[in-house]
Amino acid sequence: MPAIGSDFARCTHLAESRTDKRDGPLLRVRGLTKRYGGELAIDSVAFSAFPGEILGVIGPNGAGKTTLMEAVVGLVAADLGEVLWREEPLPASRRRDVLFYLADGVRPYQDQVTAEVISFFAGVYRRSPAEIATILISVGLKPVLQKRVHTLSKGYNRRLMLALGLLTPHDLILMDEPFDGLDLTQTRDIAGVLRRHAERGRTFVLAIHQLADAARICDRFVLLAGGQVRGLGTLDELRAEASLPCGSIEDIFLALT
Amino acid sequence: MRSHKPYAAQTAPLRPLLAKEVREIVSGRSLWTLLLLLCPLIGYSFFEAVSLYSESSSAALQSPVLANSLSPFDGVLVPTFGSFYVAATLLFPFVAIRVLGQEKETGALRLLVQLPYRSSTLVVTKLVAVVIAWIFAGIPAMSALAVWRGMGGHLALGETSNLLFGHLLYGTLVGALALFAASIAESAATAAIIALAVTIGSWVLDFTLAGQPGLLAWIAKLSLTQTLRPFEQGLLSSGLVLGIVSVISGLVALASVWLPPGVPYGRKLRRSVPFILAVAAVLAAATQVGWSIDVTEDRRNSFATPDQQLLATLKLPLVVTVRLAPEDPRYADLQRNVLSKLERAMPNVSVSLAGGRRYPTGSGEESYGETEYIYGRRSDISRSTSPREILPLIYGLAGVSQPSPRPGSEYPGYPLVASASATFLWFFAALPLLIAFCWWWSRRPSRLDRYLMHEGGSS
Repeated sequence: MPAIGSDFARCTHLAESRTDKRDGPLLRVRGLTKRYGGELAIDSVAFSAFPGEILGVIGPNGAGKTTLMEAVVGLVAADLGEVLWREEPLPASRRRDVLFYLADGVRPYQDQVTAEVISFFAGVYRRSPAEIATILISVGLKPVLQKRVHTLSKGYNRRLMLALGLLTPHDLILMDEPFDGLDLTQTRDIAGVLRRHAERGRTFVLAIHQLADAARICDRFVLLAGGQVRGLGTLDELRAEASLPCGSIEDIFLALT
Repeated sequence: MRSHKPYAAQTAPLRPLLAKEVREIVSGRSLWTLLLLLCPLIGYSFFEAVSLYSESSSAALQSPVLANSLSPFDGVLVPTFGSFYVAATLLFPFVAIRVLGQEKETGALRLLVQLPYRSSTLVVTKLVAVVIAWIFAGIPAMSALAVWRGMGGHLALGETSNLLFGHLLYGTLVGALALFAASIAESAATAAIIALAVTIGSWVLDFTLAGQPGLLAWIAKLSLTQTLRPFEQGLLSSGLVLGIVSVISGLVALASVWLPPGVPYGRKLRRSVPFILAVAAVLAAATQVGWSIDVTEDRRNSFATPDQQLLATLKLPLVVTVRLAPEDPRYADLQRNVLSKLERAMPNVSVSLAGGRRYPTGSGEESYGETEYIYGRRSDISRSTSPREILPLIYGLAGVSQPSPRPGSEYPGYPLVASASATFLWFFAALPLLIAFCWWWSRRPSRLDRYLMHEGGSS
């Protein structure tokens, strides 16, 4: 897996060089708790995301990643906890002003042509043709622009969703399982797109259950299991926390959860 | 490329949102299927109506006195648009629900609610798209009007426009109801069940309870079908329009409350209460607004103009006490021919059923069938249901002399003997083919999208 190893090195380097912690966190989540009936979906979850970083919320299926993402953006009403934006409380009604969330499993406006869906978002956010073209090229939607959304493969649907997210002007984008269903090449392509946008200052919070995918792209990690945060930091910080100096993200996750 | 200010601080354009909603309706199959179904349905209704009108006209040509009872509004327009109403009640909810239900099912709603629009803006835009779809759905019925004109038939602008306005209000009401159903239901199927339960339920309510006494009659008035009736009678009633608009506004407000995910049900319920109370208050006020215009060319909802003018000058209260059972056909005659016209013509009229509606149909009491008219200190009793007898009675009570009829003001009638067989070709072949062609045409990408395809692809 030389490619992954080199990605690791690049990501670690980027994590150190790109993540700007001097101005404090862009997003801070404190004590977020959500209960469905008697079951705790997420329990006092706390983490921060800094400008220009790619933060991975990683954990197995059922760990509470989706609930956490939806509670952060206000699509699910949290029972407890708060969300801060640049250290200011951010009420649920205002979260869509600064956060944009791309949910998993969404296939938007299936009967419309891909270009129509793109032009809708571009129109809402008043994107210029040059900006649209740049985003379309970067996510590689060219071959499917005239196809209807319901005919798109899972990979191209992911690219469409990513394009919609990138058309928004928000500083922070949350994505649920952005690599689910993609092959290695597609994952690397999309990871490259995210990295380029992060380098320009955009922040990404990605919920990922494939640990290897998370390791390829993320600067820092929130390890989530059973709705609770079991570890938080860069790979090196997590290695130190787990006392596994050479451990992979899988080893660390197993050790801490 | 990115703004560091929150996007909500800027004003998001409505045009892309509306264009998306219209595209969403047009790109689906439901609107086109509705249109294709409406063609034969309206075509057959139109054919039947024209055939019957033509038969009556033949008789009127033999006996000209019959001609002035021939109104194309009653004979052709109302029956033709009646089939449009049936289709709209049964099928249009599916078109309207799609506007929101599809987004719920595919998860696109979670994207939509994050866009920089208020929930109310999203719902109103969807309702506008639904109204546009309704106007599209009206194409077969509108084409029937054009065909009727082409056959040499007569159309009166006032009554025709009023009927179209009534159907537009009804369609908007059904659309708003469907949107509300879609906002509270998890799936489009559940929303369809809710919407149809109301539309078909109120239809059944109207059929089974209309003409029943007491509480049942009041319940029957809640039927959506009742909203169209005055328009079909050629009346533009301000109270009715106010009532319909308030219900539409209430449904839009409720849909806006229930649309956003992430709000607990309890809070949504609490937010709904003020809107429900406001609509109830406006509806109560609307029942007290009696102002209406008779837009018919034959002035069927009014007395002759000289009588209208004289009755308007009678300022004292006219108290009418009717000794009839509400379900007695004579009461319906009296109501239609005299009482409703008096209420519109005179400034102060009160009508009541004697004995608190205690008379069963065909009561054997001697006074059963009498109607007492009290004006000032004078009163009189009549068993007639005809204005020819009752107006002189009222003039006598008021001490004024009966106005002389104005010559040449009588409705001439518009008999037309024509064959509608050729219209089959239009409604059963040409129009469906045209609609199918438009369906195919609508699936072509727009100019902007073709530009995107070109620009997005030039790497």
